[in-house]
Amino acid sequence: MPLPDPDGVPLFAERPEWADVLPLEQYEDVNPIAPIFYTEEYKAATNYFRAIVKAGEKSPRVMELTESVIRQNPAHYSAWQYRYETLTFLLASTTSDSTPKGALPPLLAAELTLMDELAVQFLKTYQVWHHRRLLVSLTKQPSRELALIKRSLEVDSKNYHTWSYRQWLLSSFYGADENGREQDDDDEGETIEAREVWEAELDFVDTMLAQDVRNNSAWHHRFFVVFHSGGTEHEAEKERIFKRELVYAKQSISLAPSNPSAWNYLRGILTHTRTPFATLETFVKPYTVAQKSAGDAEKRDIVDLDNPPPSAEAELPCVQALEFLADIFETQGASEPGKENTEKAVELWKSLANQYDTIRKKYWEYRIREAHHGKEPRT
Amino acid sequence: MSDPSSQLSPLLRAGHVAHCRRCLNGLPASQTDVDASRLALSFYCIGSLDLLGVLEEQVSVKDRKSWAQWLWEQHARGKYGSGFRPSPFMTAKHLSESQKELEYTDYDTPHIIMTYTALISLAILRDDFSRLDREGLLQFISACQREDGSFSTVPGSNESDLRTLYCAFAISSMLNDWSGVDVPRALAFVATCRTYEGGYGQSPFCEAQGGTTYIAIASLQLAPATGAESETLTPLERQATIRWLLDNQDKSGGFSGRTGKDADACYCFWCGAALKILGAGHLVNSAALAMFLSRCQFKYGGIAKSPGENPDPYHTYLSLAALSMYPPEASATGTYSASWNFAPLDPLLNAKEETALWIRQHIPAARI
Ligand SMILES: [Zn+2]
Repeated sequence: MPLPDPDGVPLFAERPEWADVLPLEQYEDVNPIAPIFYTEEYKAATNYFRAIVKAGEKSPRVMELTESVIRQNPAHYSAWQYRYETLTFLLASTTSDSTPKGALPPLLAAELTLMDELAVQFLKTYQVWHHRRLLVSLTKQPSRELALIKRSLEVDSKNYHTWSYRQWLLSSFYGADENGREQDDDDEGETIEAREVWEAELDFVDTMLAQDVRNNSAWHHRFFVVFHSGGTEHEAEKERIFKRELVYAKQSISLAPSNPSAWNYLRGILTHTRTPFATLETFVKPYTVAQKSAGDAEKRDIVDLDNPPPSAEAELPCVQALEFLADIFETQGASEPGKENTEKAVELWKSLANQYDTIRKKYWEYRIREAHHGKEPRT
Repeated sequence: MSDPSSQLSPLLRAGHVAHCRRCLNGLPASQTDVDASRLALSFYCIGSLDLLGVLEEQVSVKDRKSWAQWLWEQHARGKYGSGFRPSPFMTAKHLSESQKELEYTDYDTPHIIMTYTALISLAILRDDFSRLDREGLLQFISACQREDGSFSTVPGSNESDLRTLYCAFAISSMLNDWSGVDVPRALAFVATCRTYEGGYGQSPFCEAQGGTTYIAIASLQLAPATGAESETLTPLERQATIRWLLDNQDKSGGFSGRTGKDADACYCFWCGAALKILGAGHLVNSAALAMFLSRCQFKYGGIAKSPGENPDPYHTYLSLAALSMYPPEASATGTYSASWNFAPLDPLLNAKEETALWIRQHIPAARI
């Protein structure tokens, strides 16, 4: 391949190795909607791409051509599709004698290296991630991918594509389903590896949340790791995990009380394990009053894992705590003849509607109406 | 409570019309990546003009005809059935007239999201759909459905998530024919995308997100009754979803797409429309919503994802669609009330009610 000249890579039309291809220009109606004023480079590359596709050519130079199209338009899904098909064709037709056992064929290794670069450059393009999924299905090396994602999350810690890809990797290669992972007794080695991966994953989430306790993507990932994948059928083990998560959520709330992600996680683990919200009444109450109680300062000195108090800087009352306590009262009130607790819930909702969460005034007033009409409680 | 709408400025309708017309006329090279979804961009532009109520008076019959003609040029038939392609980006200039009728290849197939947006765009242009290949369309949807119940963007691709499932459902509903879809399998897939927060992620195990939650809720509502358990939400699930959606409206008045993220104009539609479908639209703070969207307006036209950002047709259309569902009260808009006036929107198909009615009357196969 000639070295690029100082003015950049020559157009495909000017390159002798493409002289055998008749470029196919794009069809366009006389009155197109939203025509794009393409650059000459893009026009040239896609003209050759259309020709190559029409001819069905799958050769090494197609890799170069599709890379050029993709760099100029990462959303060009046909270029991605054709690139992948060309890659698999070339992999199947090259003899792998020279490749050391266990190592990836050079072509595939080169593709991964290129994708590492493009994943960062085109972080928000669907196609980049779909292509990776196809590649890792070929390499069967998910651990390399987990390391890459870690780096890419350092750039953008809430990127949806990146997290989705991680969840897909873990569920596809280390087993995950709605009810938790199934143990595969036939392959002890794989089971041990999977267990180690899931344990490392929990450490990874810890690190992410330590950096930003408000990162909801990390909280979501935690729920996924703990409840959809770390499979166990033992009741005692389930109970231990639930207790651990409960302590984790409460500790996080105590450090940063007005964090909806932590409260949603708390609600999530309670609902998932069918634990009544009322079991947390003692924990929640200090977060629902404007004044910190005199005992809180002392309580902070002794470690109370079950009921960690709000931090000294916390802004109280906390909206999510008021909502949580109202949910507890609503449930209790529903089964009382005198509905005393319903009225306590109503008082909390009123304070949310009129003072602490006025943007949702209509919602809190709706909760009041619903409770008075004796609709089903929600917890 | 301070009244956030007290400073509501006028909606810059003429500017938004101009923004959309500019994009319809052409896009700079920096937007080359729109090539693979140009029909969607066309829909956001034409749809905005429809919501703003200016199509008939400000766009000539000739222009509307040529737009419809361009949309039909993206319609293609082939071995997976019929549908619409995003643009001619893979179509070579034909060397003779006879080549015009050639079938698509494996690299130039219709795209399910583009097909949905094309049908709505054509309905906005009041096309009579006499050219629609209904049987082919059903075959195409069916070719996109995968083993797990989800749908791929194009037949055979591994790119699939909840967005494509919604498109398959919306097209089936438009055709009033569900024979192209395995509904129970599709609904089972929707159910696996639900998360502990009460929203839905774009694929199983993914974080709850406003856009995909709309997609899931609208799909459940569009689905024909099959008696399947996954077809309806339990009362508790419904409450949890309403709670999560409403929680996404933050102090700015706008909605965020995920817990703890900043508000973004498009989620005013996605979350707002999901709430409307769930029968909880009256719980949205529409005054604050209008205030947020008024601040997302770009002074030379168009609406951006958040104040101070650059506008685009996607956020312009979805903001106008959100306002069509949640117009601010006349008392809040004062002398500018006319600028905030919209015709009602069908949140299920995401089109003006009048346009949705046209769809219902013209897309289903004629009954004999
Ligand atoms: Zn947006």
